[in-house]
Amino acid sequence: MKSFDYLPAQKLEEAVARGEPRTSRFIAGGTLLVDLMRLDVERPDLVVDLNGVLSSDIAWNEAGLTLGALARNTDVAYDDTVRREFPVLSEAILAGASPQIRNLATTGGNLLQRTRCAYFRDAAVPACNKRKPGSGCAALEGYTRMHAILGVSERCIAAHPSDMAVALLALDAAVHTRRATGERQIPLGDLHTLPGTTPELETVLEPGEVITRVVVPRSPRGRRSTYLKVRDRASFAFALSSAAVALELEQGTIRSARVALGGVGVKPWRAAATEAALVGRPATSETYRAAAKLATSGAKTTPDNAFKVPLTERVVARALERAGALA
Amino acid sequence: MDLPHQRAGYAFCLAPAMFHVQTDALAAAWRAWLCGVGAPAVLIVAADGEWGTPDRRLLDGIRGELRALGAALVVVTEGRSFCFRPDVDRDEPVPERLATGAGMRALHGLYGVEAAAQVPFTLTLLDEHGAVRAQTSARAEGGLHATLLATLRSAVENTRADERVLFSRREVVLSSLTAALALSFAASCRPHAKPPSPGAPPAASTPSTAREILVTLVVNGETHQLELEPRVSLLDALRERLALTGTKKGCDHGQCGACTVLLDARRVNACLILAVMAQNKPITTIEGLSHGENLHPLQAAFVKEDALQCGYCTPGQIMSAAGLLREKRAHTDDEVRELMSGNICRCGAYVNIVRAIRSVQESGVPT
Repeated sequence: MKSFDYLPAQKLEEAVARGEPRTSRFIAGGTLLVDLMRLDVERPDLVVDLNGVLSSDIAWNEAGLTLGALARNTDVAYDDTVRREFPVLSEAILAGASPQIRNLATTGGNLLQRTRCAYFRDAAVPACNKRKPGSGCAALEGYTRMHAILGVSERCIAAHPSDMAVALLALDAAVHTRRATGERQIPLGDLHTLPGTTPELETVLEPGEVITRVVVPRSPRGRRSTYLKVRDRASFAFALSSAAVALELEQGTIRSARVALGGVGVKPWRAAATEAALVGRPATSETYRAAAKLATSGAKTTPDNAFKVPLTERVVARALERAGALA
Repeated sequence: MDLPHQRAGYAFCLAPAMFHVQTDALAAAWRAWLCGVGAPAVLIVAADGEWGTPDRRLLDGIRGELRALGAALVVVTEGRSFCFRPDVDRDEPVPERLATGAGMRALHGLYGVEAAAQVPFTLTLLDEHGAVRAQTSARAEGGLHATLLATLRSAVENTRADERVLFSRREVVLSSLTAALALSFAASCRPHAKPPSPGAPPAASTPSTAREILVTLVVNGETHQLELEPRVSLLDALRERLALTGTKKGCDHGQCGACTVLLDARRVNACLILAVMAQNKPITTIEGLSHGENLHPLQAAFVKEDALQCGYCTPGQIMSAAGLLREKRAHTDDEVRELMSGNICRCGAYVNIVRAIRSVQESGVPT
């Protein structure tokens, strides 16, 4: 690991001011950054510690649920309000990582996770447009079983790894940030960018911009929500495909729906066509299966990951079935 | 007696054969005792004051490296003699009849070492038969303790590099130690190859990459102040600086759980935490789990249920289980399995690990 200076920020303005994109990195839980620094993928000169300047509170009020950016994954997942009002969020967090990592990992950091693409994580691989803009993409000619099928470009097919972000997307969450010019709110669906020709850019955050909290609005779908994740082993593995679904039912008819996908997109992926195919229909297996067929429309697959299309259809159908059956 | 290493200017002596000088009863007792303290053994015979009172940090480091090598250290001075074994926590005295008068003369006869003003110290590397594998009495530039630490450290590195060589572990350690001794002690007395010519500009000082800062860690109830670079992980600080090697390094990427410790009463991967970020919070390692000789109920259960094979993952498994018990979220075998998924056991001792954890839960013993 390259040597670096460490700055425990005392004020948020100080952290924002020191957030220089090429040479400094923010650290909160550290589970990702320390790993990537050890891999030499991240080589900052300065690491700015946000633990002294952000909140870890979890609060429930008229507006909904507010998660401080430092709220640890464990604390959010086991929070009584979260489990009651947004089971999909609790389930998604508990489907990710290990208890040890969840004890460290934070809400803000989880949203900014980097991909698990093996070619990105191996600094010895010369071609990675994300790591070294313009250097090419080793994955395109490599082993792509874990890679994305939605939102991919000719420059990058790396999948977004977060489970929690997928649940938050299905819950219409918004990210609140602080930047040099003040504060702003970003709907979660707008936080991450498509790789296009600039896969090195992953979010709309400006240099020095810090996520301060995440707000999940009260929702008629919140309690009827669930997360289903399929992976190579029963626990502690990244998703091959996952779905966060939230339904609002009225006398057996679907009034509104949210469906978001993980493990298949270059960013947490909203399955808008599936949602549209659910609304106004009876809450039956036939409806779920038909709507699920639309979840991966527009997918671009490789021979290694083409299996994700039928897999995702089944994951979505099963998740809808499960949500529909919730009391 | 005029052994080669005691002649002026002779820095280093590799002695593949043992010295058959004296075979009286005390010498035989010395050899038997030295063979018993662990192999290899580093025997230092030093004049009073030469060993002195080493800096605690250096001593802790020396102990840590000896543990890593599985080597013993025996220090014999006129004032005080002691022995550190890699598998025992505290120093032990050298038997009095060996470390005094006739015993010292027997040691001199056996290995040609004595504590005398003209030879401040002699360092001898002994194998499991008590045979001399290397010997030096060269003064080291950085001082005896620092050079010894550097030597041991470099030997540990060598053993890692040699992992694929098909020798016995003991031979690898011995040859690594021999090479490291030759390098650090012989190099320290090599004259400067080229003295700076008068008038030449002074050599540019090495750019400082050291960014050490003072870090306070509270481990197992004890407060330690360390000078560390920010990039040092909590795991490396525990193992390499505090010599708490019970916490294991497996993958170093948060994927195996071998480094699990409790931080602020929560289980975490010590490899993913910068030591500087773990300051002033209580840290519990496997060494702090038992109360002296009384095993923690989890430790006792792992022994009773045979919840291990090679044992490398065991400290992490036990610390993770300690966190799991505190959390009180696992109530069935399946929940224990799910919530222990951050700990990998390559031997596949999972069945008995689950059984051990469940037995502690069911016993209701306070943990």
